[in-house]
Amino acid sequence: MREMVKINDIAKKEGQLVKITLEDLMKLPPPYDKPGMEPNVTEPKPEWSQNYVTELDGYVAIDVPWKPKSKEEEDALVQKFISGLRKLIDKEANWTFIQPLLLSLEYCARCQTCSDACHVYISSGRKEIYRPTYRAEVLRRLIKKISAGGNFKAKFLGDVDLNAKTILRLAECAYRCNLCRRCAQYCPLGIDNGLIAREIRKLFVQELGIAPQPLHAQGTAKHLTTGSSTGLTPDGFKDMIEFLEEEIKEKTGKNIKIPVDEKGSDILLFHNAGEYLSWPENIEAFAIIFEEAGLDWTLSSEMVGYDAVNYGVWYDDVQFSRIALKHAEIARKLDVNRVVIGECGHAHKALTVVADRIFVDEYQIPRESYLPILWDIVRRKKLNLDPSKNDFPVTLHDPCNIVRLMGIVEPQRNILKEICPKFREMKPNGVYNYCCGGGSGFAIINSMNFPEFRQKVSARMKFKQILEAFQDSISPEIKKYVCAPCSNCKGTIRDILGHYNATANCGIHYGGLVELVVNAMVDLEQPYIELI
Amino acid sequence: MLNLLIYAAVAIFVLVLIAKFVKYSTMPVHLRWEIYPVPHDPRHEHGGSYYEEVSWWAKPRQKTLAGELKEMLMEMLFIKRIFTYKRSLWWLTYPFHTGIYLILLWFVLLFVSALIDIFAVEVLKMPAYYLTLIVGSIAIVLLLIFSLALLIRRISDWELRNYSSFLDYFNLIFIFAVVATGVLAWQKDVDFTLAKNYMKALITFSSPPAVSLETQVHIVLLSLLLIYLPFTKMTHFLAKWFTYHKILWEDEPVMGSEMDEKLKKYLTQYKVKWSAPHIDPNLSWAEEATKCDLAGRCEVKL
Repeated sequence: MREMVKINDIAKKEGQLVKITLEDLMKLPPPYDKPGMEPNVTEPKPEWSQNYVTELDGYVAIDVPWKPKSKEEEDALVQKFISGLRKLIDKEANWTFIQPLLLSLEYCARCQTCSDACHVYISSGRKEIYRPTYRAEVLRRLIKKISAGGNFKAKFLGDVDLNAKTILRLAECAYRCNLCRRCAQYCPLGIDNGLIAREIRKLFVQELGIAPQPLHAQGTAKHLTTGSSTGLTPDGFKDMIEFLEEEIKEKTGKNIKIPVDEKGSDILLFHNAGEYLSWPENIEAFAIIFEEAGLDWTLSSEMVGYDAVNYGVWYDDVQFSRIALKHAEIARKLDVNRVVIGECGHAHKALTVVADRIFVDEYQIPRESYLPILWDIVRRKKLNLDPSKNDFPVTLHDPCNIVRLMGIVEPQRNILKEICPKFREMKPNGVYNYCCGGGSGFAIINSMNFPEFRQKVSARMKFKQILEAFQDSISPEIKKYVCAPCSNCKGTIRDILGHYNATANCGIHYGGLVELVVNAMVDLEQPYIELI
Repeated sequence: MLNLLIYAAVAIFVLVLIAKFVKYSTMPVHLRWEIYPVPHDPRHEHGGSYYEEVSWWAKPRQKTLAGELKEMLMEMLFIKRIFTYKRSLWWLTYPFHTGIYLILLWFVLLFVSALIDIFAVEVLKMPAYYLTLIVGSIAIVLLLIFSLALLIRRISDWELRNYSSFLDYFNLIFIFAVVATGVLAWQKDVDFTLAKNYMKALITFSSPPAVSLETQVHIVLLSLLLIYLPFTKMTHFLAKWFTYHKILWEDEPVMGSEMDEKLKKYLTQYKVKWSAPHIDPNLSWAEEATKCDLAGRCEVKL
């Protein structure tokens, strides 16, 4: 059943605004078109609603107990929120995004063209609260309301009540958007509802200190104070490097010394530290390729320097700037010519694109993606590669941050066409791709029942695309590979393959791009990628 | 009196639009936030950017004006995105916007016809007469039908109604009222000769010809619309210039640009102002972002 949710329901209605049900969710292709192929949806635990906001859709992204317990606390929340609204439209407090924000608030025609672009909205069965315009319209009305003559304006421009319910639900609702910004690509006026979702997150964290813990307390804060959001310390990192060198030797017989803190190198390579813990084969593959290709490169063992992530890009401009400046400073101290970013989508965009305008003077160090470099290595035949070693169906996921938001489209395709004879595209792809469903932090928000939202709703479109790309060879006997050159995308795809049991049901595996390159190396006796 | 209102309306329309333009163009340079394809990049056919090149900063940046112009014209002349992504709306909004373009062209034609009359350029009189007649007639018919159609759509479609406020309906009713009184005025001036003479009077600052009550009402409403427009989202052509050229297609790297001075000002002079526990509202952005201890640990109070 599709609930008719009005704008002001966010302030008025009791209970959940919408409910996700299997019947409403977007249908999946075979073999998932039959009932019983996917786990049912669960109910939120009743006691959660004491401290957390279950009144949006029953899912909880913000795992900080922040519900007001009394009338006084409610009033205080409203007052803080209002002061946050004012700062969003203040030139100094929000110089970073005030221009795009105000344009998007002022000029949206509410034509709803963007809704059809949104994988969350479509996958959910077109639930109103997931429309790109829903949270944007609430914010627009609230900002009008607090401006001069607000009550008068509200009568003509549309009203929404400003109370604790509105605020609590709006905060959760800001975490139902992957910030993939596909909606902005559809908009005939260039309005950016993805940006608005991020601005709402910013208000909550920068004024009230409220954000999901995996992003804030256990994310950026941990990154800045311990060195990595994974908790990996500089000492732990050095041990890890030794372990990786041994593992390379074991797997490939190659003696590779991974360069760390080598001053004056040409390249400083930044990896998402999650790779060290979950996918060390990715880091190892980079080391093998860079060494074989004869690049002059190094890793950094300094705090923050061995973790390329910058969660700030999803929710907080201050934390974002702190981490970005730290990254630039580490590169400067190591005196490298350039920073190269490995398989992490948001780190690509954060460090090369978004942070560009906070890097002045000596902080302005050249930064680039590993993808053109890798394509250059493959194209110039610096490695001896045999494509027949990758003789299984491969499809490519385009990480939004690298592709739609940075314009790196061809290098990865050129590589795959060269080394994977059974490569096929998903549809749509390239800059018009769909998000994996883990974008903007969803991949690492695993508190309470939020993973279910990711598996069932935000990642559903990607799962559909993967199944469609492999329809010609869907039987589990044929082993297949989803190439996702981004840590968070990879984590999300791992989780959906698990949730839908798609490795057992359809033989679908996943991994990065560099692993495929190493797997094709002629001198390797054992396959680098094992599809079991 | 009517003349004065028209002059004032045109002046306000232009001045407010200029003020809005100045307002948005003097806002701080935002952080990079583009979306691909960026049509002035030579790789735009596949959505690519200069980041596809190894050591992009060491190579000369290439831009294609043709790519950008093509995309702009497709959007301006055909509203390409609505055609591609929401065809059902395009059938209504495209004829409506064509009506707006044509009625603007009609005003230009009236102006030119008036000049032709004033300077007595005999050979151009006939072409100008027919062109004005054809363009004006088509424009009025399109605007009349499709402003009404858009209004009906906004009322009858729940997904639009839910997001519409009083003003959204008012705007369409206002336009419809202007067009409807225009149609009544047209009945009294089928070939727009009177309109041309009126334009002549406006150009030469002389007293206008006598017009019917319907025409007077139309002129008043049209002038009010002109005054009202720049304050509303209906002048979204202005916003579109910024959202595309200054945000979505703005891929200018700091390296090699002249942005540095501006950026330093924001970073060192602007106060952060936010007051969550991990932020000190009294510090500048630069101070706040570099606040770390000797071990390189950045202090974060939660």
